[in-house]
Amino acid sequence: MKKLFLTVAAVFLLASAAFAEKKEIRILSVNDIHAKIENMPQLAAIVDSLRAIYPDMLVMSAGDNRTGEPLNDLYEVPTYPMVALMNQIGFDCSTLGNHEFDGGQTGLATVTHLSNFPYICCNIHPDPKWGINTIPYKVFVIDDVRIAVIGAVQVGKAGHPDSHPDNVTDILFTPVEETLQEYKWLADENDVVILLTHIGYEEDVELSQYVRWADLIIGGHSHTQVNGGEVHNGVMITQVVNRLDNVTFITLTVQDGKVVDRKAENIKVEGYPKKNTAVAELLRFFSDNPAFKRVLATLTAPMTSYEELGCMMTDAWRVETGADLAFTNTGGVRYDYLPAGPFTVSDVLRLDPFGNDSVQMELTGQEFKDMLIATTYADSEYGFPKVSGVNCEVIFDKKNPEKIKDLKITLPDGGKFDLKKTYKVTTNSYTAAIANSPRKDQGRALNRTTASLIQEYLEHQKTIDYTGVCRVKQSVSAK
Amino acid sequence: MKVQVNRTVVDIFDGARAQHAVLRYLVHRRLSQALLKQGRIQDAYGHEIGLDAPLHEGQIIKFKV
Repeated sequence: MKKLFLTVAAVFLLASAAFAEKKEIRILSVNDIHAKIENMPQLAAIVDSLRAIYPDMLVMSAGDNRTGEPLNDLYEVPTYPMVALMNQIGFDCSTLGNHEFDGGQTGLATVTHLSNFPYICCNIHPDPKWGINTIPYKVFVIDDVRIAVIGAVQVGKAGHPDSHPDNVTDILFTPVEETLQEYKWLADENDVVILLTHIGYEEDVELSQYVRWADLIIGGHSHTQVNGGEVHNGVMITQVVNRLDNVTFITLTVQDGKVVDRKAENIKVEGYPKKNTAVAELLRFFSDNPAFKRVLATLTAPMTSYEELGCMMTDAWRVETGADLAFTNTGGVRYDYLPAGPFTVSDVLRLDPFGNDSVQMELTGQEFKDMLIATTYADSEYGFPKVSGVNCEVIFDKKNPEKIKDLKITLPDGGKFDLKKTYKVTTNSYTAAIANSPRKDQGRALNRTTASLIQEYLEHQKTIDYTGVCRVKQSVSAK
Repeated sequence: MKVQVNRTVVDIFDGARAQHAVLRYLVHRRLSQALLKQGRIQDAYGHEIGLDAPLHEGQIIKFKV
């Protein structure tokens, strides 16, 4: 009798194992939103419609929620609009992207405290004095399925995420793969392991060979449009292009504590026909941003030419980056008149609206000269650049008016400009890209937008007057 | 840093984004910069990447109009 009972029990157990219930976990993931706040009402509508069917769906961000939209980045509490919109949508978690550090340590601390969701990142170790609130992993339990999410942020050549070095002082970052391995034990205690990374697609593919214990990598950083999800080394990898063009909807099927099936598809956010009205209303509120009306300095006389405004811009870049020289393509100066009176944040953003990064190079005088000429040719619609730290006399060829026949550069006091001396030169990222002239040092991005340098300069100056300032004289050769 | 755009290696500043490498490529090839907004940028795997995608040393990207 006892034998029969044991046999029946064994058969029952085997049968129940064979037919163990399959459970499906749904995740909606985004990455590199870069403060595309105008698409948040559409994202909210997508989340609403999916949560109506799948109420336990997790919504995750793989970092770089901020940076790229002045309405967000220059709010009184920088990036608060994104935090509020993500709170309203009901994000479950985010990892840190390199741009989360753009607001500095205290800025990031504020963001982590204002968010209703945790920032998950295992390889950041901030000094407690900053008050940055992150956790290395979080376990979500949905329908008795345990889902461990481990976050990680990119570490660049400099040993920290790609942000301005001042923004990451007194924060230790440890290598991504090595640090993730410290959390391998989570695979033994949970049914699903998700890595929420901000390291780039190619790096995620490489990482996958070392983290076969994970089921899914939700990636960010490289703005790569993966078609749904791809499996590399047994690990599914997802990522979408930046600025909330798409999101990824992921379904994980779990049975007996294992992921037995994975599906991922993209949903188009840009142009999605529905909007969540509450989120749209919140967006309207944030769009009327009083921070844009903030007065940075007072203009004691009107600025009346591209030359005057370009001189002010390049002075700002030179002074605020500690450079010897600065220059901009003339097409980068977007208006030629500003009346006397307040110089506001809005005025700066209209003057320099492209979100260009600042780039610094070590150039010889000759390389600088060649770069000015190359910029003129590449930006031919607008002509010779605007400069700071030198004066220029440009002579165009009478036979070919677009060609520079001679360029004389002098120091501001009229002294000789040394073509062999090395100068620290700042320009914007667009100019650094288009100026295709020979130089040893291509430079490095300073992770500070050129518009932010102008704002800082104006705040430091308090009053400015560029009446009649002219550093570039242009003429046509006699022959 | 050096980045390959199609078959051309361009030397560009550290911290450059995909659009910067493509702009340098277009200027180098004497092509209109306006093509930047008309084309698509792909990584070595053939995935589309954004204009603001960060680049790293030795990265290979493709630009197609």
